Amino acid sequence: MFIARSEYDRGINTFSPEGRLFQVEYSLEAIKLGSTAIGLTTADGVILGVEKRITSTLLETSSVEKVVEIDRHIGCAMSGLQADARSMIEHARVTSQSHAFNYSEPIKVESCTQAICDLALRFGESASGEEEESIMSRPFGVALLIAGHDENGPSLYHAEPSGTFYRYDAKAIGSGSEGAQAELQASYHKSLTIPEAEEMVLKTLKQVMEEKLDANNVQLASVTKDKGFRVYSDEEMKTCVSRIEGE
Amino acid sequence: MASISSFAMPSEAPTYSFAAAQSASGQPRQHGFYPYTDNGGSTLGISGDSFTILAGDTRSTSGYNINTRYAPKLFKLGGSGPNHEGSKIVLSVVGFAADGNALQERLDTIVKMYKYQHGKDISVHACAQRLSHILYNKRFFPYYVHAILGGIDEEGKGALYSYDPVGSYEREQCRAAGAAASLIMPFLDNQVNLKNQYDPNSGPGLEKVQRVPKPLDRTTVEEIVRDAFTSAVERHIEVGDGLQMMIITKDGIEEVYTPLKQD
Repeated sequence: MFIARSEYDRGINTFSPEGRLFQVEYSLEAIKLGSTAIGLTTADGVILGVEKRITSTLLETSSVEKVVEIDRHIGCAMSGLQADARSMIEHARVTSQSHAFNYSEPIKVESCTQAICDLALRFGESASGEEEESIMSRPFGVALLIAGHDENGPSLYHAEPSGTFYRYDAKAIGSGSEGAQAELQASYHKSLTIPEAEEMVLKTLKQVMEEKLDANNVQLASVTKDKGFRVYSDEEMKTCVSRIEGE
Repeated sequence: MASISSFAMPSEAPTYSFAAAQSASGQPRQHGFYPYTDNGGSTLGISGDSFTILAGDTRSTSGYNINTRYAPKLFKLGGSGPNHEGSKIVLSVVGFAADGNALQERLDTIVKMYKYQHGKDISVHACAQRLSHILYNKRFFPYYVHAILGGIDEEGKGALYSYDPVGSYEREQCRAAGAAASLIMPFLDNQVNLKNQYDPNSGPGLEKVQRVPKPLDRTTVEEIVRDAFTSAVERHIEVGDGLQMMIITKDGIEEVYTPLKQD
Protein backbone atom coordinates (compact mmCIF):
# COMPACT_ATOMS: atom_id res chain seq x y z
CA MET A 1 0.00 0.00 0.00
CA PHE A 2 2.97 2.35 0.34
CA ILE A 3 4.06 2.00 -3.30
CA ALA A 4 2.18 4.96 -4.68
CA ARG A 5 3.22 7.22 -1.82
CA SER A 6 3.31 10.74 -3.18
CA GLU A 7 1.72 14.13 -2.68
CA TYR A 8 -1.64 12.42 -2.45
CA ASP A 9 -1.06 11.28 1.10
CA ARG A 10 -0.77 14.84 2.35
CA GLY A 11 -4.13 16.34 1.53
CA ILE A 12 -6.62 14.52 3.70
CA ASN A 13 -9.54 14.90 1.37
CA THR A 14 -7.74 14.41 -1.92
CA PHE A 15 -8.19 11.19 -3.84
CA SER A 16 -5.06 9.58 -5.32
CA PRO A 17 -5.26 8.75 -9.05
CA GLU A 18 -6.00 5.14 -8.05
CA GLY A 19 -8.98 6.40 -6.08
CA ARG A 20 -7.62 6.08 -2.57
CA LEU A 21 -7.65 8.35 0.45
CA PHE A 22 -4.25 7.70 1.98
CA GLN A 23 -4.80 9.50 5.28
CA VAL A 24 -7.88 7.43 5.95
CA GLU A 25 -5.96 4.26 5.15
CA TYR A 26 -3.13 5.34 7.46
CA SER A 27 -5.62 5.94 10.25
CA LEU A 28 -6.62 2.30 9.94
CA GLU A 29 -2.95 1.46 10.49
CA ALA A 30 -2.97 3.46 13.72
CA ILE A 31 -5.56 1.04 15.08
CA LYS A 32 -3.32 -1.92 14.36
CA LEU A 33 -0.87 -0.40 16.86
CA GLY A 34 -3.52 -0.18 19.57
CA SER A 35 -4.23 -2.66 22.33
CA THR A 36 -6.54 -5.57 21.53
CA ALA A 37 -10.26 -5.29 22.22
CA ILE A 38 -12.84 -8.04 21.73
CA GLY A 39 -16.62 -8.07 21.59
CA LEU A 40 -18.84 -11.16 21.75
CA THR A 41 -22.62 -11.37 21.31
CA THR A 42 -24.72 -13.94 23.12
CA ALA A 43 -28.49 -14.35 23.34
CA ASP A 44 -28.43 -12.80 26.83
CA GLY A 45 -26.13 -9.87 26.19
CA VAL A 46 -22.81 -8.68 24.86
CA ILE A 47 -19.40 -9.09 26.50
CA LEU A 48 -16.58 -6.64 25.84
CA GLY A 49 -12.99 -7.37 26.78
CA VAL A 50 -9.95 -5.12 26.46
CA GLU A 51 -6.25 -5.51 27.04
CA LYS A 52 -4.72 -2.86 29.29
CA ARG A 53 -1.08 -2.21 28.52
CA ILE A 54 0.62 -1.63 31.85
CA THR A 55 3.76 0.21 30.72
CA SER A 56 5.14 0.73 34.20
CA THR A 57 4.85 -0.99 37.53
CA LEU A 58 4.18 2.45 38.99
CA LEU A 59 1.15 2.96 36.75
CA GLU A 60 -2.21 3.06 38.46
CA THR A 61 -4.03 0.38 36.43
CA SER A 62 -7.51 1.70 37.19
CA SER A 63 -6.64 4.91 35.29
CA VAL A 64 -6.41 3.02 32.00
CA GLU A 65 -9.98 3.36 30.77
CA LYS A 66 -10.61 1.55 27.52
CA VAL A 67 -14.16 0.47 28.00
CA VAL A 68 -16.71 3.14 28.80
CA GLU A 69 -20.43 3.77 29.08
CA ILE A 70 -22.29 5.69 26.37
CA ASP A 71 -25.79 5.29 27.76
CA ARG A 72 -27.34 2.93 30.28
CA HIS A 73 -27.91 0.39 27.54
CA ILE A 74 -24.84 1.04 25.35
CA GLY A 75 -21.15 0.59 26.09
CA CYS A 76 -18.02 0.84 24.03
CA ALA A 77 -14.51 -0.59 23.87
CA MET A 78 -11.75 1.20 21.98
CA SER A 79 -8.43 0.57 20.31
CA GLY A 80 -6.07 3.17 18.87
CA LEU A 81 -5.56 6.77 19.93
CA GLN A 82 -7.39 7.07 23.26
CA ALA A 83 -7.69 10.84 23.06
CA ASP A 84 -9.53 10.67 19.75
CA ALA A 85 -12.04 8.29 21.23
CA ARG A 86 -12.93 10.84 23.89
CA SER A 87 -14.58 13.22 21.43
CA MET A 88 -16.36 10.38 19.61
CA ILE A 89 -17.75 9.03 22.87
CA GLU A 90 -18.72 12.50 24.01
CA HIS A 91 -20.65 12.87 20.75
CA ALA A 92 -22.32 9.48 21.19
CA ARG A 93 -23.31 10.31 24.77
CA VAL A 94 -24.81 13.64 23.78
CA THR A 95 -26.68 12.03 20.87
CA SER A 96 -28.06 9.30 23.15
CA GLN A 97 -29.16 11.76 25.80
CA SER A 98 -30.75 14.09 23.28
CA HIS A 99 -32.67 11.17 21.77
CA ALA A 100 -33.94 10.16 25.20
CA PHE A 101 -34.85 13.80 25.92
CA ASN A 102 -36.69 14.29 22.65
CA TYR A 103 -38.45 10.96 22.39
CA SER A 104 -38.42 9.59 25.97
CA GLU A 105 -37.09 6.25 24.76
CA PRO A 106 -33.58 4.76 24.62
CA ILE A 107 -31.77 5.24 21.31
CA LYS A 108 -31.23 2.17 19.13
CA VAL A 109 -27.68 0.80 19.10
CA GLU A 110 -27.52 1.14 15.32
CA SER A 111 -28.65 4.78 15.43
CA CYS A 112 -26.01 5.53 18.05
CA THR A 113 -23.33 3.85 15.92
CA GLN A 114 -24.49 5.80 12.88
CA ALA A 115 -24.13 9.04 14.88
CA ILE A 116 -20.53 8.12 15.76
CA CYS A 117 -19.74 7.33 12.12
CA ASP A 118 -21.27 10.61 10.96
CA LEU A 119 -18.78 12.35 13.23
CA ALA A 120 -15.90 10.18 12.01
CA LEU A 121 -16.25 11.66 8.54
CA ARG A 122 -16.30 15.28 9.66
CA PHE A 123 -12.61 15.91 9.14
CA GLY A 124 -10.53 17.77 6.59
CA GLU A 125 -10.08 21.30 5.33
CA SER A 126 -13.57 22.60 4.85
CA ALA A 127 -13.99 25.00 1.96
CA SER A 128 -13.93 28.63 3.02
CA GLY A 129 -17.35 30.09 3.74
CA GLU A 130 -18.74 26.64 4.38
CA GLU A 131 -21.24 26.74 7.18
CA GLU A 132 -20.19 23.64 9.04
CA GLU A 133 -16.56 23.86 10.09
CA SER A 134 -14.95 20.46 10.38
CA ILE A 135 -13.89 19.81 13.93
CA MET A 136 -10.94 17.51 13.21
CA SER A 137 -8.08 18.25 10.86
CA ARG A 138 -7.39 14.54 10.33
CA PRO A 139 -9.34 11.28 10.53
CA PHE A 140 -9.78 9.76 13.97
CA GLY A 141 -7.12 7.20 14.82
CA VAL A 142 -9.38 4.92 16.79
CA ALA A 143 -11.77 2.04 16.18
CA LEU A 144 -14.70 1.34 18.45
CA LEU A 145 -16.64 -1.76 19.40
CA ILE A 146 -20.12 -0.56 20.33
CA ALA A 147 -22.15 -3.01 22.35
CA GLY A 148 -25.73 -2.48 23.33
CA HIS A 149 -29.12 -3.89 24.11
CA ASP A 150 -32.27 -2.43 22.56
CA GLU A 151 -35.74 -3.52 21.41
CA ASN A 152 -34.11 -5.88 18.89
CA GLY A 153 -32.04 -7.60 21.58
CA PRO A 154 -28.27 -7.51 22.08
CA SER A 155 -26.03 -6.26 19.28
CA LEU A 156 -22.40 -5.45 18.59
CA TYR A 157 -21.11 -2.93 16.06
CA HIS A 158 -17.63 -2.14 14.81
CA ALA A 159 -17.01 1.47 13.76
CA GLU A 160 -13.91 2.50 11.83
CA PRO A 161 -12.27 5.90 11.16
CA SER A 162 -13.44 5.61 7.55
CA GLY A 163 -16.99 6.10 8.82
CA THR A 164 -18.16 2.63 7.85
CA PHE A 165 -19.69 0.30 10.39
CA TYR A 166 -20.77 -3.32 10.43
CA ARG A 167 -22.63 -5.50 12.86
CA TYR A 168 -20.81 -8.56 14.18
CA ASP A 169 -21.49 -11.62 16.30
CA ALA A 170 -17.88 -11.48 17.42
CA LYS A 171 -15.15 -9.01 16.55
CA ALA A 172 -11.58 -8.25 17.58
CA ILE A 173 -9.73 -4.97 16.94
CA GLY A 174 -6.24 -3.70 17.68
CA SER A 175 -2.75 -5.18 17.45
CA GLY A 176 -3.79 -8.75 18.17
CA SER A 177 -6.92 -8.60 16.06
CA GLU A 178 -5.83 -10.94 13.28
CA GLY A 179 -5.01 -13.84 15.58
CA ALA A 180 -7.93 -13.11 17.85
CA GLN A 181 -10.42 -12.89 14.97
CA ALA A 182 -9.26 -16.27 13.64
CA GLU A 183 -9.65 -17.75 17.11
CA LEU A 184 -13.17 -16.29 17.46
CA GLN A 185 -14.09 -17.56 13.99
CA ALA A 186 -13.14 -21.07 15.08
CA SER A 187 -14.78 -21.16 18.49
CA TYR A 188 -17.82 -18.83 18.27
CA HIS A 189 -21.29 -20.32 18.25
CA LYS A 190 -24.75 -18.80 18.66
CA SER A 191 -25.69 -20.66 21.85
CA LEU A 192 -22.98 -19.18 24.09
CA THR A 193 -23.94 -18.26 27.64
CA ILE A 194 -22.56 -15.16 29.36
CA PRO A 195 -20.01 -17.08 31.52
CA GLU A 196 -18.88 -19.01 28.41
CA ALA A 197 -18.49 -15.74 26.52
CA GLU A 198 -16.45 -14.25 29.37
CA GLU A 199 -14.12 -17.22 29.23
CA MET A 200 -13.86 -17.12 25.44
CA VAL A 201 -12.95 -13.42 25.50
CA LEU A 202 -10.31 -13.93 28.19
CA LYS A 203 -8.82 -17.02 26.54
CA THR A 204 -8.61 -15.24 23.21
CA LEU A 205 -6.99 -12.19 24.80
CA LYS A 206 -4.57 -14.48 26.63
CA GLN A 207 -3.43 -15.98 23.31
CA VAL A 208 -2.72 -12.67 21.61
CA MET A 209 -1.38 -10.60 24.51
CA GLU A 210 2.36 -10.08 24.84
CA GLU A 211 2.31 -9.89 28.64
CA LYS A 212 0.90 -12.69 30.74
CA LEU A 213 -2.80 -12.14 31.29
CA ASP A 214 -3.88 -11.39 34.87
CA ALA A 215 -6.76 -9.65 36.61
CA ASN A 216 -5.01 -6.27 36.34
CA ASN A 217 -4.13 -6.07 32.66
CA VAL A 218 -7.51 -6.97 31.21
CA GLN A 219 -10.93 -5.46 31.70
CA LEU A 220 -14.31 -7.01 30.99
CA ALA A 221 -17.66 -5.27 30.64
CA SER A 222 -21.13 -6.49 29.74
CA VAL A 223 -24.39 -5.17 28.37
CA THR A 224 -27.49 -7.10 29.39
CA LYS A 225 -31.21 -6.37 29.29
CA ASP A 226 -31.60 -6.13 33.07
CA LYS A 227 -28.40 -4.48 34.21
CA GLY A 228 -27.55 -2.46 31.11
CA PHE A 229 -23.89 -1.58 30.62
CA ARG A 230 -21.61 -2.60 33.47
CA VAL A 231 -17.84 -2.63 33.89
CA TYR A 232 -16.66 -5.62 35.93
CA SER A 233 -15.31 -4.82 39.39
CA ASP A 234 -11.81 -5.89 40.47
CA GLU A 235 -13.37 -8.69 42.48
CA GLU A 236 -15.34 -10.01 39.47
CA MET A 237 -12.24 -9.75 37.28
CA LYS A 238 -10.30 -11.91 39.73
CA THR A 239 -12.94 -14.66 39.72
CA CYS A 240 -13.26 -14.57 35.91
CA VAL A 241 -9.49 -14.80 35.42
CA SER A 242 -9.17 -17.58 37.99
CA ARG A 243 -11.79 -19.59 36.08
CA ILE A 244 -9.67 -19.74 32.93
CA GLU A 245 -6.45 -20.29 34.85
CA GLY A 246 -7.85 -23.49 36.31
CA GLU A 247 -7.73 -25.14 32.89
CA MET B 1 -53.13 20.43 32.43
CA ALA B 2 -54.75 22.09 29.46
CA SER B 3 -57.39 24.29 30.94
CA ILE B 4 -60.73 24.37 29.21
CA SER B 5 -60.86 27.77 27.59
CA SER B 6 -63.69 29.95 28.81
CA PHE B 7 -66.78 30.03 26.69
CA ALA B 8 -66.71 33.37 24.88
CA MET B 9 -68.80 34.89 22.12
CA PRO B 10 -66.85 36.17 19.14
CA SER B 11 -66.28 39.90 19.11
CA GLU B 12 -68.21 42.11 16.69
CA ALA B 13 -65.13 43.23 14.80
CA PRO B 14 -63.23 40.61 12.82
CA THR B 15 -59.76 40.17 14.28
CA TYR B 16 -57.10 41.11 11.81
CA SER B 17 -53.53 40.04 12.25
CA PHE B 18 -52.19 43.57 12.21
CA ALA B 19 -54.04 46.51 13.72
CA ALA B 20 -54.21 49.61 11.60
CA ALA B 21 -52.04 52.36 13.02
CA GLN B 22 -54.02 55.33 14.30
CA SER B 23 -53.36 58.44 12.28
CA ALA B 24 -54.67 61.47 14.12
CA SER B 25 -52.25 64.15 13.02
CA GLY B 26 -49.98 65.51 15.71
CA GLN B 27 -50.96 62.70 18.06
CA PRO B 28 -48.54 60.00 19.13
CA ARG B 29 -49.25 56.84 17.17
CA GLN B 30 -49.74 53.50 18.80
CA HIS B 31 -48.72 50.58 16.68
CA GLY B 32 -50.13 47.15 17.23
CA PHE B 33 -49.00 43.64 16.55
CA TYR B 34 -51.72 41.02 16.79
CA PRO B 35 -50.32 37.92 15.20
CA TYR B 36 -53.07 35.58 16.38
CA THR B 37 -56.60 34.89 15.17
CA ASP B 38 -59.16 32.51 16.67
CA ASN B 39 -60.61 30.33 13.95
CA GLY B 40 -63.13 28.66 16.23
CA GLY B 41 -64.13 25.03 15.89
CA SER B 42 -63.81 22.13 18.27
CA THR B 43 -62.02 18.81 18.48
CA LEU B 44 -62.34 15.81 20.70
CA GLY B 45 -60.60 12.50 21.27
CA ILE B 46 -61.57 9.31 23.08
CA SER B 47 -59.38 6.24 23.47
CA GLY B 48 -60.70 2.71 23.82
CA ASP B 49 -59.14 -0.68 24.47
CA SER B 50 -57.89 -1.25 20.93
CA PHE B 51 -58.69 2.00 19.15
CA THR B 52 -58.60 5.77 19.44
CA ILE B 53 -61.12 8.12 17.87
CA LEU B 54 -60.30 11.72 17.07
CA ALA B 55 -62.94 14.07 15.75
CA GLY B 56 -63.30 17.69 14.79
CA ASP B 57 -65.78 19.92 13.03
CA THR B 58 -64.69 21.37 9.70
CA ARG B 59 -65.91 24.97 10.01
CA SER B 60 -63.37 27.78 10.01
CA THR B 61 -64.53 31.16 11.30
CA SER B 62 -63.20 34.60 11.89
CA GLY B 63 -65.49 36.73 13.95
CA TYR B 64 -69.04 36.23 12.66
CA ASN B 65 -67.75 35.21 9.23
CA ILE B 66 -67.28 31.68 7.97
CA ASN B 67 -64.02 31.36 6.02
CA THR B 68 -64.84 27.91 4.72
CA ARG B 69 -67.14 25.05 5.57
CA TYR B 70 -64.42 22.47 5.04
CA ALA B 71 -61.07 23.05 6.77
CA PRO B 72 -59.93 19.79 8.39
CA LYS B 73 -58.44 19.96 11.88
CA LEU B 74 -57.32 16.32 11.84
CA PHE B 75 -54.01 15.30 10.29
CA LYS B 76 -52.42 11.92 9.75
CA LEU B 77 -48.73 11.92 10.66
CA GLY B 78 -46.05 10.02 8.77
CA GLY B 79 -46.96 7.22 6.39
CA SER B 80 -46.06 7.33 2.73
CA GLY B 81 -47.23 9.53 -0.10
CA PRO B 82 -49.63 12.47 -0.08
CA ASN B 83 -52.35 10.35 1.59
CA HIS B 84 -50.07 9.22 4.44
CA GLU B 85 -50.63 5.54 3.72
CA GLY B 86 -49.70 3.25 6.58
CA SER B 87 -49.89 6.08 9.11
CA LYS B 88 -50.93 5.14 12.67
CA ILE B 89 -50.85 8.52 14.40
CA VAL B 90 -53.28 11.42 14.11
CA LEU B 91 -52.79 14.98 15.30
CA SER B 92 -55.73 17.28 15.86
CA VAL B 93 -55.27 21.00 16.30
CA VAL B 94 -57.78 23.69 17.16
CA GLY B 95 -57.35 27.38 17.80
CA PHE B 96 -55.38 29.48 15.34
CA ALA B 97 -55.52 27.52 12.07
CA ALA B 98 -52.30 28.90 10.58
CA ASP B 99 -50.34 27.83 13.65
CA GLY B 100 -52.12 24.49 13.57
CA ASN B 101 -51.04 23.89 9.99
CA ALA B 102 -47.47 24.95 10.71
CA LEU B 103 -47.33 22.64 13.71
CA GLN B 104 -48.74 19.71 11.76
CA GLU B 105 -46.18 20.19 8.97
CA ARG B 106 -43.29 20.28 11.43
CA LEU B 107 -44.36 17.18 13.30
CA ASP B 108 -45.09 15.30 10.07
CA THR B 109 -41.56 16.03 8.84
CA ILE B 110 -40.10 14.85 12.14
CA VAL B 111 -42.12 11.61 12.04
CA LYS B 112 -40.91 10.92 8.50
CA MET B 113 -37.27 11.76 9.36
CA TYR B 114 -37.49 9.50 12.41
CA LYS B 115 -38.33 6.56 10.17
CA TYR B 116 -35.41 7.29 7.84
CA GLN B 117 -32.97 7.70 10.72
CA HIS B 118 -34.00 4.84 12.95
CA GLY B 119 -35.54 2.39 10.48
CA LYS B 120 -38.79 1.98 12.41
CA ASP B 121 -42.08 3.79 12.82
CA ILE B 122 -42.15 6.28 15.66
CA SER B 123 -44.25 5.21 18.64
CA VAL B 124 -47.10 7.47 19.85
CA HIS B 125 -45.26 7.70 23.14
CA ALA B 126 -42.12 9.10 21.43
CA CYS B 127 -44.16 11.33 19.12
CA ALA B 128 -46.04 12.73 22.13
CA GLN B 129 -42.79 13.70 23.87
CA ARG B 130 -41.46 15.30 20.69
CA LEU B 131 -44.64 17.33 20.19
CA SER B 132 -44.35 18.60 23.75
CA HIS B 133 -40.84 19.89 23.00
CA ILE B 134 -41.89 21.53 19.74
CA LEU B 135 -44.55 23.46 21.62
CA TYR B 136 -42.28 24.33 24.53
CA ASN B 137 -39.53 25.54 22.21
CA LYS B 138 -41.92 28.32 21.27
CA ARG B 139 -42.72 29.07 24.91
CA PHE B 140 -42.48 32.85 24.36
CA PHE B 141 -44.29 33.02 21.00
CA PRO B 142 -46.48 29.95 21.21
CA TYR B 143 -48.37 28.03 18.58
CA TYR B 144 -51.87 29.18 19.53
CA VAL B 145 -53.43 25.75 19.48
CA HIS B 146 -54.83 23.03 21.66
CA ALA B 147 -53.38 19.84 20.25
CA ILE B 148 -54.62 16.29 20.79
CA LEU B 149 -52.52 13.37 19.58
CA GLY B 150 -54.00 9.91 19.08
CA GLY B 151 -52.68 6.50 18.15
CA ILE B 152 -52.09 2.95 19.28
CA ASP B 153 -49.44 2.31 21.94
CA GLU B 154 -46.80 -0.45 21.95
CA GLU B 155 -49.20 -2.82 23.75
CA GLY B 156 -51.88 -2.30 21.07
CA LYS B 157 -54.06 -0.16 23.35
CA GLY B 158 -55.60 3.13 22.32
CA ALA B 159 -53.45 6.12 23.31
CA LEU B 160 -54.54 9.74 23.57
CA TYR B 161 -52.40 12.71 24.60
CA SER B 162 -53.67 16.26 25.09
CA TYR B 163 -51.60 19.44 25.19
CA ASP B 164 -51.83 23.04 26.23
CA PRO B 165 -50.33 25.64 23.83
CA VAL B 166 -46.90 25.56 25.56
CA GLY B 167 -46.42 21.81 25.62
CA SER B 168 -47.68 20.62 28.98
CA TYR B 169 -49.18 17.23 28.22
CA GLU B 170 -50.92 14.23 29.71
CA ARG B 171 -52.21 10.86 28.56
CA GLU B 172 -55.97 10.65 29.04
CA GLN B 173 -59.07 8.60 28.23
CA CYS B 174 -60.85 11.54 26.64
CA ARG B 175 -60.47 15.23 25.97
CA ALA B 176 -62.41 17.97 24.23
CA ALA B 177 -60.67 21.10 22.98
CA GLY B 178 -61.49 24.34 21.20
CA ALA B 179 -64.47 26.68 21.14
CA ALA B 180 -67.02 24.18 22.45
CA ALA B 181 -64.68 22.39 24.86
CA SER B 182 -66.57 23.79 27.82
CA LEU B 183 -69.77 22.36 26.38
CA ILE B 184 -68.43 18.94 25.43
CA MET B 185 -65.97 18.14 28.24
CA PRO B 186 -68.58 17.83 31.04
CA PHE B 187 -70.60 15.52 28.80
CA LEU B 188 -67.49 13.36 28.27
CA ASP B 189 -66.72 13.38 32.01
CA ASN B 190 -70.17 12.00 32.60
CA GLN B 191 -70.40 9.55 29.72
CA VAL B 192 -66.82 8.26 29.45
CA ASN B 193 -65.44 8.58 32.97
CA LEU B 194 -68.91 8.10 34.53
CA LYS B 195 -68.51 11.14 36.79
CA ASN B 196 -71.56 11.79 39.01
CA GLN B 197 -72.96 8.40 38.15
CA TYR B 198 -73.53 6.17 41.14
CA ASP B 199 -74.38 2.54 41.53
CA PRO B 200 -78.19 2.50 41.97
CA ASN B 201 -77.88 -0.43 44.39
CA SER B 202 -75.57 1.45 46.76
CA GLY B 203 -76.90 3.22 49.82
CA PRO B 204 -77.93 6.85 50.21
CA GLY B 205 -75.74 9.87 51.06
CA LEU B 206 -72.12 9.04 51.85
CA GLU B 207 -72.69 5.36 51.11
CA LYS B 208 -73.16 6.12 47.42
CA VAL B 209 -70.66 4.25 45.27
CA GLN B 210 -69.26 5.85 42.12
CA ARG B 211 -69.66 3.72 38.99
CA VAL B 212 -66.28 2.48 37.76
CA PRO B 213 -65.43 3.53 34.19
CA LYS B 214 -64.61 0.71 31.77
CA PRO B 215 -63.09 1.04 28.30
CA LEU B 216 -65.91 1.65 25.82
CA ASP B 217 -66.50 -0.23 22.59
CA ARG B 218 -66.15 1.46 19.25
CA THR B 219 -69.81 1.92 18.31
CA THR B 220 -70.61 3.48 21.70
CA VAL B 221 -67.71 5.90 21.35
CA GLU B 222 -68.78 6.88 17.83
CA GLU B 223 -72.29 7.59 19.15
CA ILE B 224 -70.90 9.71 21.99
CA VAL B 225 -68.78 11.70 19.51
CA ARG B 226 -71.74 12.35 17.20
CA ASP B 227 -74.00 13.35 20.12
CA ALA B 228 -71.31 15.66 21.49
CA PHE B 229 -70.96 17.48 18.20
CA THR B 230 -74.63 17.72 17.24
CA SER B 231 -75.27 19.24 20.67
CA ALA B 232 -72.31 21.61 20.43
CA VAL B 233 -73.52 22.80 17.02
CA GLU B 234 -76.87 23.78 18.55
CA ARG B 235 -75.25 25.93 21.24
CA HIS B 236 -72.10 27.33 19.67
CA ILE B 237 -72.02 29.41 16.53
CA GLU B 238 -68.38 28.65 15.70
CA VAL B 239 -69.02 24.92 15.45
CA GLY B 240 -70.77 23.25 12.56
CA ASP B 241 -70.79 22.37 8.84
CA GLY B 242 -69.17 18.93 8.98
CA LEU B 243 -67.84 16.31 11.36
CA GLN B 244 -64.57 14.63 10.50
CA MET B 245 -63.71 11.49 12.46
CA MET B 246 -60.58 9.37 12.35
CA ILE B 247 -60.64 5.94 13.93
CA ILE B 248 -57.15 4.57 14.58
CA THR B 249 -56.78 0.80 15.04
CA LYS B 250 -53.84 -1.57 14.69
CA ASP B 251 -54.81 -1.97 11.03
CA GLY B 252 -54.64 1.73 10.20
CA ILE B 253 -56.84 4.80 10.10
CA GLU B 254 -60.46 4.91 8.98
CA GLU B 255 -61.80 8.31 8.06
CA VAL B 256 -65.48 9.20 8.28
CA TYR B 257 -67.13 12.48 7.27
CA THR B 258 -70.73 13.36 8.17
CA PRO B 259 -72.46 16.69 7.58
CA LEU B 260 -73.49 18.87 10.50
CA LYS B 261 -75.94 21.80 10.51
CA GLN B 262 -74.71 24.75 8.50
CA ASP B 263 -76.54 27.49 10.43
